Amino acid sequence: MSADPDEELVRRVGAGDPAAVQTLVARKLPRILSLAARMLGDAAEAEDVAQETFVRIWRHASSWRRGNARFDTWIHRVTLNLCYDRLRRRREWVTDDLPDVADPSPLPDAGEETQRIEQALQGIAPRQREAIVLVYYQEMSNIEAAAAMEISVDALESLLSRGRRALQMILARDGVHD
Amino acid sequence: MDAKRFAALAQAYGGDPRRWPEDERAAAEAFASSEAGQAISQHAGKLDTLLDGYRVRHPSKALSGSILRAADRHLVQRRRQRVWWFGLGLAGIGLAGAIAGLALVTVVTPEAQSEHYVLDANATAFGDVGPEAENGEESL
Repeated sequence: MSADPDEELVRRVGAGDPAAVQTLVARKLPRILSLAARMLGDAAEAEDVAQETFVRIWRHASSWRRGNARFDTWIHRVTLNLCYDRLRRRREWVTDDLPDVADPSPLPDAGEETQRIEQALQGIAPRQREAIVLVYYQEMSNIEAAAAMEISVDALESLLSRGRRALQMILARDGVHD
Repeated sequence: MDAKRFAALAQAYGGDPRRWPEDERAAAEAFASSEAGQAISQHAGKLDTLLDGYRVRHPSKALSGSILRAADRHLVQRRRQRVWWFGLGLAGIGLAGAIAGLALVTVVTPEAQSEHYVLDANATAFGDVGPEAENGEESL
């Protein structure tokens, strides 16, 4: 197993080193926030998830030991679990209270095409979205993404193919992709 | 690498070789230069271009600040817990020492004679005055 580039930093965080805490936030916050934002399609919820992820990091840093996964893989798993909790709650809420119409208001600062991609990503199955986000946006290798999703590389490849095909269909329907 | 596998890779990972599996990248890149490879890559590249356009916001200073403040609270709390546990540990060691000392004193020190010693009916301050003692004296 290759060395974990975050291991020493996490050890220092666990020992209470304030400089290490700042470095860890600077290094990981953009990754965690972009993962949550693309999984949830909601900037405010993504910020909440990022904060909750870091609370878990502070809580576990002193006892964190590298098992089979790297620290980066572990925080991706934590973030994804928090995202799934929110997606589940959202589904229950929609089932109970909301009408069937999605909010049509445009996102602030988002171009029309960006908005369509975001909506298309939100329109595919969460596991397919997760696979695409990890490999495409988080720039994980197939092995790292499969580890974060706790599936085999073959299963990951299948999710990626089906996810991309579903995206192509949605975008073609919206006239964005041919 | 054949066209079927190349198409499967492009459908899963897109047209950018950097995302392809490391163990198949060299063979896939070699196939990509073929006519079939170029057509497949071009098709996959269209979706890649659209996905590239979806950018999310960078973390705000307010969010970073809030996370760092939460970290401070956790670190202070953990430091307090450590001090508390250290104090408790010291108290425990002290208590264990006291118990061990008491046990040692109990084992090493000979049993003290009772202050309420009941004199034998035949005993005097000068010795035993019972019939056996008398016999002894007579035999001298």
